Amino acid sequence: MHDDDIFTGSLMEASWLTLEQVAAACSVESDWLVRHIGEGLFPHVESIAGTWRFSGASLVRARRMRELERDFDAVPELAALVADLLEELDALRQRR
Amino acid sequence: MQFKDYYQTLGVARDASADEVKKAFRKLARKYHPDVSKEADAEARMQEVNEAYAVLSDPEKRAAYDQVGRGYQPGQDFRPPPDWDAGFEFSGHGFSPHEAAGFSDFFAELFGHMGATPRGTRSAGFRAQGEDHHAKVLLDLEDAFTGATRQINLRVPQLDAQGRVHLATRTLNVKIPRGVRAGQVIRLAGQGAPGVGGGPTGDLLLEVQFRPHPRLRAEGRDVHLTLALAPWEAALGAVVSVDLPGGAVKVRVPAGAQSGRQLRVRGHGLPGEPPGDLLLDLQVVLPPADSPKAREFYETMARELAFEPRRSGRT
Repeated sequence: MHDDDIFTGSLMEASWLTLEQVAAACSVESDWLVRHIGEGLFPHVESIAGTWRFSGASLVRARRMRELERDFDAVPELAALVADLLEELDALRQRR
Repeated sequence: MQFKDYYQTLGVARDASADEVKKAFRKLARKYHPDVSKEADAEARMQEVNEAYAVLSDPEKRAAYDQVGRGYQPGQDFRPPPDWDAGFEFSGHGFSPHEAAGFSDFFAELFGHMGATPRGTRSAGFRAQGEDHHAKVLLDLEDAFTGATRQINLRVPQLDAQGRVHLATRTLNVKIPRGVRAGQVIRLAGQGAPGVGGGPTGDLLLEVQFRPHPRLRAEGRDVHLTLALAPWEAALGAVVSVDLPGGAVKVRVPAGAQSGRQLRVRGHGLPGEPPGDLLLDLQVVLPPADSPKAREFYETMARELAFEPRRSGRT
């Protein structure tokens, strides 16, 4: 394997995701994200100088909420509640 | 290619109403939800259920599937007639092209036009900018200690000149940075879907998860490990060697250590700026009284030590 064939990525903490990147990765519209942030359904998203920045965990959350809304016609608050519980479950499983 | 019976997958009759299809899908989506399902093959089953629903919930796709699939049995060898899909126009329906990449070759063959016309000009479903691809990557905790290069296989949808979607396997060698933590995302700039009409290429986002480790458990940057101690090590104090993926470290156990107590060794968790801590959950293990000599030791202790383990406040 040549060194040229090896991709070196950047870790997301140093380089946060933008609104557009999360929207594209989760196949949601940017408006969907902005609306959900506005309603307080993304607790860990930060706004720096008017620009939203997302951590890797927000990406998982956005994907879960979108699937819950799509698969079960869940209202956004219910999807957020289930996402909260799944995050809690992740933390408990890590501790096992 | 085997014919797939989507009605059978969802467990509905061929004349099921849209409501019945939706109800059956939700029931299965709950049963096989990858985050909570107890079924061993939940993720694969959910993929099948999603695929069946993507077809049966969309009136255009369902009509086309009914027409082309007439007379076929599940598992039977299937070849769609040439130009069978003339007259149908498919639009994306809830599932992104990237999600559809997990669907079967049968689906790709039938509905490969998703979001694109046969002439290769794209419909409104596609963005001008290449999409960011998102995949989960399973690593060993050792990789986070030492850094590693891992080969990752991805199934990605690719559009040919006719606008059909084909599934291709892409193999990437990715350098895993030291100190990576569960839930973090490694971004490979420019390795996502190609841009459309001169738009920039998307990124590849790899979400890191660790396989369960027999001894170690990471919590953020901190690493937990159960440290077994002999009674004399716990009682008298000792310097013990702890094996970690980055090499062994020597740890001083204070005299009077008890099971259930935790020792924090600063800076010996996952590498980083600052590095995490190593948290040792102490567990005193008793040697078995399986020889006359061992029994004698225990009997001497019982006789000589004024020790009441159930004294109030001890347990």
